[in-house]
Amino acid sequence: MDRIPILKMGDALLITIQVDMHDRLALALEEDLTAKIAATKAKGVLIDISSLEIVDSFIGRMLDNIAAVSRMLDADTVVVGMRPAVAITLVELGLSLTGVKTALNVERGMLMIQNRLRGLGDFSGRRS
Amino acid sequence: MRHPILSTALRSEMDVVYVRQRARSIAERLGFDQQDQTRIATAVSEIARNAYAYGGGGKAEFFLETDARPQEIAVRISDTGPGIRQLETILEGRYKSRTGMGLGIIGAKRLMDQVSIETAPGKGAVVDLRKARPERAAPIQPSALSSIAASVARESESDPMGALREQNRELLNSLSELKERNEELNTLSRELEDTNRGVVALYSELDEKAEQLRQASELKTRFLSNMSHEFRTPLNSILAISRMLLDRLDGDLSAEQEKQVGYIRQSAEHLTELVNDLLDLAKVEAGKLDVKVTPFTVTELFGGLRGAMKPLQTADAVSLTFEEEAGLPALRTDEGKVAQILRNFISNALKFTEAGEVKVSAGWNRKSGEVVFAVSDTGIGIAPADQERIFDEFVQVENRLQARSKGTGLGLPLSRKLAELLKGAVSVTSEPGKGSTFVLRIPASYAPAAPGRGATGAAGLRRVLVVDDDEAFRYVVRQIISSEPGFEVAEAANGADALELIRSDPPDAIILDMQMPVMDGPSFLRALQGEADMASLPVIVSTSHVIDPDLRRKVGSARAVLSKETLSKEVLMSLLAGVTGPAA
Repeated sequence: MDRIPILKMGDALLITIQVDMHDRLALALEEDLTAKIAATKAKGVLIDISSLEIVDSFIGRMLDNIAAVSRMLDADTVVVGMRPAVAITLVELGLSLTGVKTALNVERGMLMIQNRLRGLGDFSGRRS
Repeated sequence: MRHPILSTALRSEMDVVYVRQRARSIAERLGFDQQDQTRIATAVSEIARNAYAYGGGGKAEFFLETDARPQEIAVRISDTGPGIRQLETILEGRYKSRTGMGLGIIGAKRLMDQVSIETAPGKGAVVDLRKARPERAAPIQPSALSSIAASVARESESDPMGALREQNRELLNSLSELKERNEELNTLSRELEDTNRGVVALYSELDEKAEQLRQASELKTRFLSNMSHEFRTPLNSILAISRMLLDRLDGDLSAEQEKQVGYIRQSAEHLTELVNDLLDLAKVEAGKLDVKVTPFTVTELFGGLRGAMKPLQTADAVSLTFEEEAGLPALRTDEGKVAQILRNFISNALKFTEAGEVKVSAGWNRKSGEVVFAVSDTGIGIAPADQERIFDEFVQVENRLQARSKGTGLGLPLSRKLAELLKGAVSVTSEPGKGSTFVLRIPASYAPAAPGRGATGAAGLRRVLVVDDDEAFRYVVRQIISSEPGFEVAEAANGADALELIRSDPPDAIILDMQMPVMDGPSFLRALQGEADMASLPVIVSTSHVIDPDLRRKVGSARAVLSKETLSKEVLMSLLAGVTGPAA
């Protein structure tokens, strides 16, 4: 089965989802990522979904889960590049993805992660 | 009115992805804007996942609804699963899904204009999704739909990675299938090999068994033949001595003693009969029984049988009649053996018939040249299962008359063997309770299989004539010679008998005693020399006299002289081999 590649950039992990994932692929990504965080002790996870034209409830839930699990493993997750149509559809669907931090693009997402790593405070408003 | 655009099966997870991608492509081609394309694709994705995950697969069909203003896209997703349970709960938003967010149907309702669901327990579910095309978009003619479908299909084909993935998947599937089949074949082939080995082993076992059986049969024949000979001598003594007693040669007998001796004699006679039967059987099996061909007529044969069978006819209720077809030819075969077979049939028939008649008839099959004798009775009959068995040695069928009438169980097997010897056959037809008919068919004229030199000399056998008045000595020589292959023995008790025998059937060698009544050894030798065609016959003189020059002179024409005291198999056989030459 094919997998979504997970790249390590310093203390962060970078995932670019470029294909329309079927459900099992999404679940596999969740597992792979969790294992990778534990193995690399990454502090941040950046997921680029700019290629996705459709994010339905299953993939939305997957993103939510990844964020929650990462947080428990002391890593922050930022989802970047969501298309406007996808964002609107997700909201209409009733999925607001409250646990997931988002950024407009990869650049901003990386900045958010780096800020946290430098100890300049995290974007959740907590003081570290 | 609905116009179909295309339909896709929902059989795998990947199909869910294809369906939502197609939904987006179709929506795009039907003029929906980006936002609506995403909405439609997302809603279709939700419902298609439900159909695959809960409904066990189904299909998705895309339509254009042309009756509505504006036209609508319609997607019909159906499955054959157990149906949607708790539909009310789901629609009210109170349902908690374990897999999704519990948003599938409700979410789809929010994203589409209209969602209708038809479901029944066990009958699957059909979900119909509809969304109106943008107001400003120009209406699409149904005729244009086929080109839309074609371009959508092309789009998915033009995804080389996807196509490759699909092909890969199929290849892997067929590979694993092939592997499985290969394994199956291997297993089968191994099984076949095992079976084969088993069969080969069984074959060799069978061969062994057959060999053992053959040996056992041969052993039985030899045993029977030897034992019967051994039995006959003491039996003859018993018969002779009991006759002496009955003839009062040693004084008078009391009435009681006479009765007892009578019983002894009767039993001995019975035993002799059994031994003779056994001996005949053994001889036939060993191929040693000779056929003595004489001309005779059926009338003569029946006359003899009538006389012989009369005493056996104990019950007055049973009549014995003989019948012969007119125009029967004269027979040329062994009368004694034919009579023996018929005697067996008739005595059996009389034994097992309590009332009625036993009819002996003779007919003539002109076509095959066979005379057909039939002995039919109105007796107890033979069950079909036993009809073949009765021709086996020592088989006696259990019945109520069996206890009354003693038999050896050898009569019928012997009859069969004798009939075969005469190139004929015996058979039986019978119905229990109604009676039996035994049939003997033999060629009217017996034709020997391979005529030997003489009437009795079988081909290839070297004939040795033993001339001695001492029966014991003849017996010893006979035993020695007949145990060797390629030899047969004729006997004469004195020189005169021997000369007669030699004239009718010249032997290959003669073993000659010196002292005999009627014509002794030396005179026999002289007589032999006197006949031109007999002078060259090799003679071995055997004597209990001391072998001195005087004796040697007397038997000058003999090839060798050997002492009876030192007679051994080796000496005798090497002498015989020397004078008769190698086997023919």
